[in-house]
Amino acid sequence: MSAMSARATDGSAPLLQTRNLALHAAGRCLVQGLDWQVRAGERWCVIGRNAAGKSTLLRALAGLTVPSRQGQVCWLGRSQDDWPAADAAWARAYAPQQAVDRFPLSVRRLLELSTVRPGALKADAVLVALDAQRLADRGVMQLSGGERQRIALAQCVLQGAPLMLMDEPVSFQDPAHQAAVARWLAQLVAPGSDSALVLSAHDVNWILRTATHVLALIGDGSWRAGRCEDLIDAALLSQVYDCDWREVGGFWVAN
Amino acid sequence: MVLSAGQQRALAVALLLALLIAVAASLALGSAGLDLQLIQTLRAPRVGAALGVGALLALSGLAMQVLLRNPLADPYVLGTSGGAAVGGLLALMAGASLWLGAGLGALAAGALLLLLTRSALASTDDASPRLVLTGVMLASMFGALATLLLALTPDQQLRGAIFWLVGDLSGAQGGLACGLAAVAFAVWLMRTDMAVDRLLLGSEVAALLGEPVRRLRLLLLVAASLAAGLAVASAGAIGFVGLVVPQALRQLGVQRTRDLAWMSAVGGATLLTLADLVARTVVSPLELPVGAVMALVGAPLFILILMRGAR
Repeated sequence: MSAMSARATDGSAPLLQTRNLALHAAGRCLVQGLDWQVRAGERWCVIGRNAAGKSTLLRALAGLTVPSRQGQVCWLGRSQDDWPAADAAWARAYAPQQAVDRFPLSVRRLLELSTVRPGALKADAVLVALDAQRLADRGVMQLSGGERQRIALAQCVLQGAPLMLMDEPVSFQDPAHQAAVARWLAQLVAPGSDSALVLSAHDVNWILRTATHVLALIGDGSWRAGRCEDLIDAALLSQVYDCDWREVGGFWVAN
Repeated sequence: MVLSAGQQRALAVALLLALLIAVAASLALGSAGLDLQLIQTLRAPRVGAALGVGALLALSGLAMQVLLRNPLADPYVLGTSGGAAVGGLLALMAGASLWLGAGLGALAAGALLLLLTRSALASTDDASPRLVLTGVMLASMFGALATLLLALTPDQQLRGAIFWLVGDLSGAQGGLACGLAAVAFAVWLMRTDMAVDRLLLGSEVAALLGEPVRRLRLLLLVAASLAAGLAVASAGAIGFVGLVVPQALRQLGVQRTRDLAWMSAVGGATLLTLADLVARTVVSPLELPVGAVMALVGAPLFILILMRGAR
């Protein structure tokens, strides 16, 4: 049934589309009038100050409860409210900022439970790509923050959904693992791939290595969206982060 | 932490052997020694009740741990058994069926707990302490209610009522019903395998993975509460079986609900049968209430498991 309804959707439709989306939290407008599309093969990064609404936006895009939501979010051309829960798991996957574990499951079992649509990717290959193969038989509660975060990325990817949402996927990663995750994500969602990625991050230079597109939340409800090379400049970064920026040897530095 | 297939098979065999030994010992041992008629009329029904009640309590604990996403959940600790006891006492005083009263009392206590901790469970942050404390408060409230009801109980029934409240298998009824219910419960849990295991990752994660979370949790609540109610109606409020058995199995590395369900049932049946054997033989011919014996064994055992888990 899941396969049928996934097929019944419009193949040319964007994987993710928002129509006039508005989000509010704690009396503040996080974003409004968001009309935005994510197509297969694209890697988007949501940027914005702390508390600008990046996590809330990602939650809303995943179909999770948020304080206040108006407007529409569509997966594969169909409003997320019209997807039965079982089918939605075939459309989108979501990795939270921090997973909370309460039971001593092994990493291998966790990945089994996270796989909804077994696809071309195998758990062992994903673990190798994430430098986590030696964690397979460890208990999830014994992992370090960085290790657990890489396992959360593996969970998200192994679910088998074409639209992958990741909330700050490298916040706990050391520089080597940040670089490895950037390379791996770029490989995973390359032009011509049938999947797309929306993530959030703070390190502008990491974002430029990882993402093809940027959605900038300005903080007052307004937003800008476009290709990294078209959008990211000192003016935008200053506006988003409320501080001065300069480019030094090809890297962006905040003052 | 992770069991190989061989280790898991060895554990399964060990559990079944322990069950056989516990049953054989319980049938054979006692103040009157080996007497076939005595075994048939007295010991066999009692062992049957211990098996059924033990299995039900362990399964109820397992289900509540999944439902509340907390390895410390248990019908006794969180007040479900207390609710059943109050319901049972009320039913007795009103001249209604003890089984009905205990069942309704358990359901009410379970629903109350879920209602009070609903917001905590829906959020993604760590709500464990609040949940356990809410349950413990419910348990002490039901304990106080039961004490109040005891004060109103006529003297000639008081000793029986007290023994029943702390857990007593001497006149236990309904071993067969408990056993059948335990088998049905275990089979259902084993068949839900993936769905229940995904609930361990949190309601939100399970929903993202496409599981019908609301329906599953409602079923778990009803099943866990009814199991606790049935166990209480049969043998009174016995604690620690539901806490210790699934927790020990998890710590040994059993991960799948498919395995945990039947292993918990067998482990719970064995543990309670052994506790009852101790209760009726250690100061024979006097008998101790099995609930007290179980708590004396279960509480230190649980502390041991906690310390092991904290390492």
